[in-house]
Amino acid sequence: MQASGERRAGWGHRTLMVVLLVYLFLPLLATFIYAFAKDWQATILPERWTLEWFGEMFTDVRFMDALWKSLYLCLISVALSLVVMLPAVFIITVYLPGLESFMKGVVVLPYAVPGVVAAVGLIRAYSSGPINISGTAFILIGAYFVIILPYMYQGIRNSLLTVSAVELLGAAEMLGASRMKAFITVILPNIWPGVMTSTLLSFSVLFGEFVLTNMLVGGHIQTIQVYLMRRMNESGHLASAIAISYFLFILVLSMVLMQLGKKVNKGMSK
Amino acid sequence: MKPYLRLEGIRKQFGANTVLNQVNLEIREGELVTLLGPSGCGKSTLLRCIAGLTEMDGGHIWLDNQSIAELPPRSREIGMVFQSYALFPNLTVSENIEYGMRMRKASKEARRQRSTELLELIDLVDKRDAYPQQLSGGQQQRVALARSLAVRPKVLLLDEPLSALDAKIRKNLRSEIREIQKKFNMTTIFVTHDQEEALTLSDRVCLMNQGNIVQQGAPEELYSAPRTEFVARFMGSYNVLSRAEALRLFGTVKGEAESFAIRPEALALLDQEREGTGLESGKQIVQGTVHSASILGNVIRYAVDTAGLRLTVDQLNDGRSLRMEENHPVKLVLDATQLLHLEKEGA
Repeated sequence: MQASGERRAGWGHRTLMVVLLVYLFLPLLATFIYAFAKDWQATILPERWTLEWFGEMFTDVRFMDALWKSLYLCLISVALSLVVMLPAVFIITVYLPGLESFMKGVVVLPYAVPGVVAAVGLIRAYSSGPINISGTAFILIGAYFVIILPYMYQGIRNSLLTVSAVELLGAAEMLGASRMKAFITVILPNIWPGVMTSTLLSFSVLFGEFVLTNMLVGGHIQTIQVYLMRRMNESGHLASAIAISYFLFILVLSMVLMQLGKKVNKGMSK
Repeated sequence: MKPYLRLEGIRKQFGANTVLNQVNLEIREGELVTLLGPSGCGKSTLLRCIAGLTEMDGGHIWLDNQSIAELPPRSREIGMVFQSYALFPNLTVSENIEYGMRMRKASKEARRQRSTELLELIDLVDKRDAYPQQLSGGQQQRVALARSLAVRPKVLLLDEPLSALDAKIRKNLRSEIREIQKKFNMTTIFVTHDQEEALTLSDRVCLMNQGNIVQQGAPEELYSAPRTEFVARFMGSYNVLSRAEALRLFGTVKGEAESFAIRPEALALLDQEREGTGLESGKQIVQGTVHSASILGNVIRYAVDTAGLRLTVDQLNDGRSLRMEENHPVKLVLDATQLLHLEKEGA
């Protein structure tokens, strides 16, 4: 009885997984096919296939330019966030736990303010006065930093708590390590996988962000999101090709970063 | 004999809460001292103050004639084993053990030799290349012990090292720790809330309550001569009586004490229906009824109602004595010489 019950539960799980995967992959598959379709009107699958849209996309210098801009803006923002947040969250969690409730409040603020409101507020605050950076990459990097604050803070903090950083640090110090040495040899290698995940998540969030980017620098800097929006109106096929390339690009990048993370982790442990 | 480790007036507050209230303690070289007490009594905080992991609000610490209160943890030459083991998950067993020596820039050969020596001691040579998460709780704690011994500390601190382990492993590891401590003549402070652990393990037990050491002494001394009600209740299942209750039970009591204690094994039960043997001088018999009985292995513990009191009575479970049923009438043999006089709390 029990065995058959288990088997039924297994089927239930599997069916649920298949439904979920179909639900998630179907739009992607449709977009994928549409990107290679020449004519696709009254049939289930396209009548004729073509690489024309991809050709058009890759020969457009604006696409490569937009992709490159998005990439480096996101990378700079994430790297900046990592450099600032890693030590900050470590110090707060380990040495100033009293500040945690305050920090928790601060980091959810980006969720509470709608993108449009944030954009208008930022433009008003930074289009005059001592810091006049409206329309430049700086304001975008600043805004990106704030957007990913919750992901970075929670990710790093959870990693620190999961590995019991305070105890590990204490143990390392008792064995003769300085605080800096203990952080580098013990804390960092153990929280690295978690930090890497938060970093990747943040990167993906930024790469897909449109509202703030378009409002803050849309007229000045053409990022991949802004470019995608503009070309979408021209041809659905072309937009599909861009979306698919964009998706594959993110996929490859994530995998590379993951591998890199593992390598760094191993290197640090030694 | 001069103390090896000396604590003087250690004070620590967390907000308005005084966790350590002018604690003084002297420990000889090679002695194993237990800090025993209920949770929140300040024993772990005291340990962390000695380690340097928690900053003191006041007081001095001398180790081997050197003041160490101002030194950072890494310079104090003190080893510590944590309740949660705190092994480094990214390092193998041998790398964990060698970590301290690596920080002290010991050569690779010296590190390897020392870790092998310690792995043999804790009987985990075959686990040298395993990661902590591949070991059982008991094995992890043994590695943690080896890791702290590797740097040859002057004092070893153990913060409830056995409380996360199950009963059998706890008992084995307890005697293993004692053996290793004796072998290295390691001055050791052991924190626990388990009185049995403290009694079996220590040269000296310091019982703590509300940030103070309320009584210290050899295990047998602390058990047989508690000075206050708190000690009596914490160290065993002592029957604590007020003066009025003691008078009701014994008729007369000597001295001016306001409360008294009598050990459960100092009371004896006689079956009401059987004839009692001749009574020794100083002893008296009162009538009572059994309220409940429970078997604790070699001891049967009764709760007996008499003179409006409920007393705990321990009888040896030697196979000859039958367990008496509830509401069974019994004779209780009282020995006034076993009645301990307790001081007022905080006196």
